[in-house]
Amino acid sequence: MTKPMRDFTRGELHWQPWLAPVDLDQATDAQRAALKITPSNRAVGAYSLVLAHDPESLEQRSPLYNAIMFGAKGLPRAERELGAVVASRINGCAYCASVHAKRFTELTKAPEVMQRIQQDGVAATLEPRQKAIVDYAVKLTRDPAAITPADAAPLRAQGLSHLDILDLTHAVAMFAWANRLMQTLGEATIPAREGNPL
Amino acid sequence: MSDGNPDVMDTLAGLADSAPAALRRQRPDVVKHLQGSDDAIFAPQDDGGLTRAERTAAALRVATLLRDPVLSEHYRARLATLDPNGTLARTVEGSARITEGRWDAILAHVDLVTRGPGSAERKDIDNLLAAGLSSHAVVLLSQLIAYVNFQSRVLAGLRMLKGAL
Repeated sequence: MTKPMRDFTRGELHWQPWLAPVDLDQATDAQRAALKITPSNRAVGAYSLVLAHDPESLEQRSPLYNAIMFGAKGLPRAERELGAVVASRINGCAYCASVHAKRFTELTKAPEVMQRIQQDGVAATLEPRQKAIVDYAVKLTRDPAAITPADAAPLRAQGLSHLDILDLTHAVAMFAWANRLMQTLGEATIPAREGNPL
Repeated sequence: MSDGNPDVMDTLAGLADSAPAALRRQRPDVVKHLQGSDDAIFAPQDDGGLTRAERTAAALRVATLLRDPVLSEHYRARLATLDPNGTLARTVEGSARITEGRWDAILAHVDLVTRGPGSAERKDIDNLLAAGLSSHAVVLLSQLIAYVNFQSRVLAGLRMLKGAL
């Protein structure tokens, strides 16, 4: 995919739902529990309020996402973000790609990596370890049926442990999930005060 | 292995007591909430009116689109208990057609969200509501489609690790 990656990462997620969100004043106990609403915390975005229509899945998915993206040890967080960026680009979620590109750069202090991916897409020239991660993320996102045991070899050759590879798999797969929810239940919009970033 | 051994992913990846099953247990919160998500989506206390047959057929459709034979068989076997004459299975696997508004809307949405989530529009949600799905059912269907897309990729990685370990 060669579509330019937009950079509108500053500020909060401006996401316009296509389905009326749950009204917090009318929310059921199950919905409030899944949203982690307490008297001192009523700050919940439209995206979570739409997902709260099905509190049982929301209650599991939030801790699953956190365990996959922030779990201790294993694959460095920045490389999980790299997997998220690749999946998001291929799945067409420019907003998600942009947010996670920013997180990668904050963690690595190496802005040139995302600049290259922004310019040249997932075929960008990268250092070998990043290249191996990107190639696996591309294949897993595009066509999981095409993955074979041989696809582990380039990752192992770059020093990824089996746990690292499992972590990368979870992160890329999580964005097969997240990109689909975010793009089909509503749309990310560019905050007016920030102007058109293109 | 405290969190249900084997769970749905172990079973689908054929891990049993293998090294990849032990590897998965180094991520206990992932194991726990992945199985929890599966339970929430396929065996919810409140399904919002999206029936068990609809949920299972939608999952089989995703597995078919992703050409995952093990995942297809998993959902096909479950659907067989709900649809003994096999009409639904033949429909979602592409060799028959149901011309009924609600089924058409559900299966069209499965195809869109699986193949081209970036081209979804507001009218696609409106179609589901017009076909009689509640807001709860729309969100559960969306979570289900996205979850099976996730599940297929985790499975692909586990099979790869099983072959490489």
